[in-house]
Amino acid sequence: MEQVSTLERILRGIAISFVIIFFMFPILWIFLMSFQTNETILQVPPQLFFEPTIVNYEGLITGQLETAAGSLKIEFMGNLFNSLFLSTAAVIVGLILGVPAAYAFARLKFKGSEDIAFTLLSFRFAPPLLVLLPLTIYFQKIGLADTYVGLIWVYQLIVLPLILWIVRGYFEDIPADIEYAYRIAGHGFWSTFRKIALPLAGPGIAAAGLLAFIFSWNNFIFALVLASADKQPVTVGALAFITASGINYGQIAAGIVLSIAPTFALAMYAQRYLVEGLSLGAVKG
Amino acid sequence: MHEKEKNLIKTYVDGGIDRRTLIRGLGVMGVTAATAGVLLNSVATEALAQNGFDWQKHKGTKIKLLLNKHPYADAMIANLENFKKLTGMEVEYDVFPEDVYFDKVTAALSSGSSEYDAFMTGAYMTWTYGPAGWIDDLNEYINDSAKTNPDYNWEDMLEGVRNSCAWNGQPGGELGSADAKQWCIPWGYEQNNLSYNARMFKAGGLTVPTNIDELAATAAQAKTDGLASYGIGVRGSRSWATIHPGFLSGYANFGQKDLNVSADGKLSAAMNTDVSRDFHAKWVGMIQDSGAPDWSTHTWYQVGTDLGAGKSAMIFDADILGYFMNGGDNAEAGNLAYSPFAANPDASAPTPNIWIWSLAMASAGKQKDATWYFLQWASGPEHAVFGATQMDFVNPVRKSVWANTDFRARLEKSYPGYVEMHDVSAPGAKIHFTPQPLFFDLTTEWAATLQKMVANELPVDEGLDQLAQSVDKQLKEAGLG
Amino acid sequence: MGEFTMSVPAKGRFSINRRYLPYLLSLPALLTCIGILIPFFTAVIYSLQRYRLSQPWARKFNWGENYLNFMTDASFWNTLKVSMTYATLTVGIELLLGLGIALLLQRRSTFNNFVSIMLLMPLMTAPALAALMWKLMTNPGFGILSYFATLLGIKDLNWASDPATAMMTVVIVDVWVYTPFIMILLLAGLRSLPKQPFEAAELDGVPRMFVFWKITLPMLTPFLLTATLFRVIESIQQFDIIYAMTQGGPGDTLTVFQVEAYLNFFQSTNVGRSAALMMILWAITYFLSNIFIKNWLRLREKARGEA
Repeated sequence: MEQVSTLERILRGIAISFVIIFFMFPILWIFLMSFQTNETILQVPPQLFFEPTIVNYEGLITGQLETAAGSLKIEFMGNLFNSLFLSTAAVIVGLILGVPAAYAFARLKFKGSEDIAFTLLSFRFAPPLLVLLPLTIYFQKIGLADTYVGLIWVYQLIVLPLILWIVRGYFEDIPADIEYAYRIAGHGFWSTFRKIALPLAGPGIAAAGLLAFIFSWNNFIFALVLASADKQPVTVGALAFITASGINYGQIAAGIVLSIAPTFALAMYAQRYLVEGLSLGAVKG
Repeated sequence: MHEKEKNLIKTYVDGGIDRRTLIRGLGVMGVTAATAGVLLNSVATEALAQNGFDWQKHKGTKIKLLLNKHPYADAMIANLENFKKLTGMEVEYDVFPEDVYFDKVTAALSSGSSEYDAFMTGAYMTWTYGPAGWIDDLNEYINDSAKTNPDYNWEDMLEGVRNSCAWNGQPGGELGSADAKQWCIPWGYEQNNLSYNARMFKAGGLTVPTNIDELAATAAQAKTDGLASYGIGVRGSRSWATIHPGFLSGYANFGQKDLNVSADGKLSAAMNTDVSRDFHAKWVGMIQDSGAPDWSTHTWYQVGTDLGAGKSAMIFDADILGYFMNGGDNAEAGNLAYSPFAANPDASAPTPNIWIWSLAMASAGKQKDATWYFLQWASGPEHAVFGATQMDFVNPVRKSVWANTDFRARLEKSYPGYVEMHDVSAPGAKIHFTPQPLFFDLTTEWAATLQKMVANELPVDEGLDQLAQSVDKQLKEAGLG
Repeated sequence: MGEFTMSVPAKGRFSINRRYLPYLLSLPALLTCIGILIPFFTAVIYSLQRYRLSQPWARKFNWGENYLNFMTDASFWNTLKVSMTYATLTVGIELLLGLGIALLLQRRSTFNNFVSIMLLMPLMTAPALAALMWKLMTNPGFGILSYFATLLGIKDLNWASDPATAMMTVVIVDVWVYTPFIMILLLAGLRSLPKQPFEAAELDGVPRMFVFWKITLPMLTPFLLTATLFRVIESIQQFDIIYAMTQGGPGDTLTVFQVEAYLNFFQSTNVGRSAALMMILWAITYFLSNIFIKNWLRLREKARGEA
């Protein structure tokens, strides 16, 4: 492996450059666009140099959108808050429900446990619209329509299977002997679970929680169908910049940047967990 | 409001001073023009309170609205304080972007939600909502003098517009027939006519086209002469929205219909006639030669933005879309002009198909009388004048507003040809579709067929035959054909 | 590793919960998901009805008629074809590209690790927003990609608005978003492979291509299979990207299952047909996910066995 020829090194360099350009360029372009107004955006050919402006961000943050038909109020900061709140709450609930269940599936094999676990995972793969449409009617009947509680419940469809299956793998990896020894020393079941099993599976729980957060954040269709305007996340909110009196491209770009920044930051901060989560528990870091 | 300001406004309302003096006077007191509009209107609202009607009957009641992000909604929200003051009611609202608005309405209504008392809609949508039992017939309120204030003046609404919102629920039934139910109340409406870039037309020596052949020729010339990136903007996305504006307006001008209604009430496809084939061929050719290169994704927004940015030379689309693009920070603001358009050279006048933003009442609502208070205020003459003169609440649906000299003067000043265009085409303006519950199935398929024709995947003749066949099949399946 | 025997320690105290404990632990999660089963059965019932919201009076059970109608319904077969094409193209390209990138980045180095993390960015982008980004980039007026295309001499490339290139465009967006997922999975796989066979091959001077085809690829197969199945299941259900970019158009070029079902429900308010479409999609994904889960479990067993 050490005697790599110069030619190969150059080819590899070119290939990697292409890869980086293809995957990074769109983000860079949108980022630049978010500092322009329609005036410079619509120029042909596209200008590389322009006077950057922060009006788009100002508009989003203050909630005032200047359009041909006067100024409009937009709730982008509200959308951002909703995304944050819904995703965080969904993950917390998912962890509270999912981690003990994952432990039960991993450690305490019981009658039908495999079947149940299997069924739970298959929810992850069911077409969301299939349940979403009838769900609108049931939510109405039981008073969950247009509530955060209802939404957080539905988000469990994405969150729970993920947590169950990733965390379960980690519990199975902890040698039972450790817990066994601790138990023999006279500690109870809960104390063993809390003091031994949970900390040892920590990285797995972090990975699963992180991944679940990102999937929740990126969800588009659940809230769109089930919630009213004041509970919409950024993925739906970003559409709001398209108004009857025209499209403000710079503002759309700024909205996209603000919407993806939190998941980017999170990914950077916790990359190791993310990679573990994304490799579906097939590999341990 | 302070007494001094109030007195000044009263003087204006009584005709003591002119509008400019008033605004200047208020300016001295630190009141901006926009606020002045609302203040001014609060006096009009006070006048409304004097008409002997018990506006405070539902004091304390709270209603909730579902609104589309639109200048009409903005105008209403700007004036909403006055309504609250007038009635002592509370009003909450949810505003959704148009891309998802109608799906949201369907989701809310189909689930039987009582969350929203009233919502914005179009007439076509009521062809689904009405039979589905989601909305109420508003005639019982309009005709009840105990519930409707004496100044409401329902007869003031333009007849073609008013009738287009009334349907008896029979598939193929005539709009505005004697047994029709008023499913919604017109709020603001759009005619489809020509908005063109007068600066470009002048620079290129183009004349304003007056029929479909001239339209295609002018569009082609604007493109070949390099006046704009493309000649004409019309919508093209895979949606009913592609069929109802310019396309259907031109189509109807040749006396063509979407469906035939037989004597026994059965529906059948009517788009595969010779005249229709001819019109389709011209339309498709026009888009291929001088339409937007990405026409098939063009919705209202792209059509408008491109006109405003000088990418297209003209649009055959909603008049108010051209209106909006003539203001704000659009590159071509101030350069646009308007003209009525009759696609058929033999037609005496244009026959624009219209889109009506309307207000409807949810059947599942729990406080309908209070909701009606809001509806009659929002669609009443006082708010219509406020919206039309102070905000972008155009086109008004009330004759009295069109007669309002302030309003006409405002349009004449900054929107050349707009008033005349409206006056000329208003008599023929109505919904030219056949009301029936499969409206969206059929128009979406129609749009998809147009897309295939423009992409040269399907010859016009064959496409229309296929479309007609499929439409007939669907109508039969639904028990309508 | 293995199962925990509850009976040994603290005998008296635990004998009561012992039997119920696992159920107690998993019950909340179960109940949460059971709620979802009710709407699922409702959807099954809808799919067996003639049910249009705009004609409530005509609602009745027509049993299999919605499904039978599909047999002669050209637009259904088109939906099936488009969905399959989309899934095949996206997953095929993502697999090749993801494998290529994983091989490029295989060696552990600061630079390679940095690049692999950077490449996660598209995956962190919500597909609906990614579609919006690409829509801006392919705008014929000011889109940077359209501009590049004209520089390359490609005139009139209309991306998603031309039926000839619409599929290509949405596939590119999908590839942009999801290739990093396959890359990361395969990279993890590559780096976990045992070193000995490769060292032995190098000592013997075996050609690199031969090593790749005869050693790397076969050892990587379980990972490839897992990645493929996972992506196929998701790809065949694509909604966000296609809906945000073209709503299924132009023509019927992109009316995949979920888009068609969404339009059937919300625009045509034909609930029966919409539900029947979703049931067919569900059957396909259920079948695939069964294979996927079994395969994935085997892979994990193996990974653990080697750890």
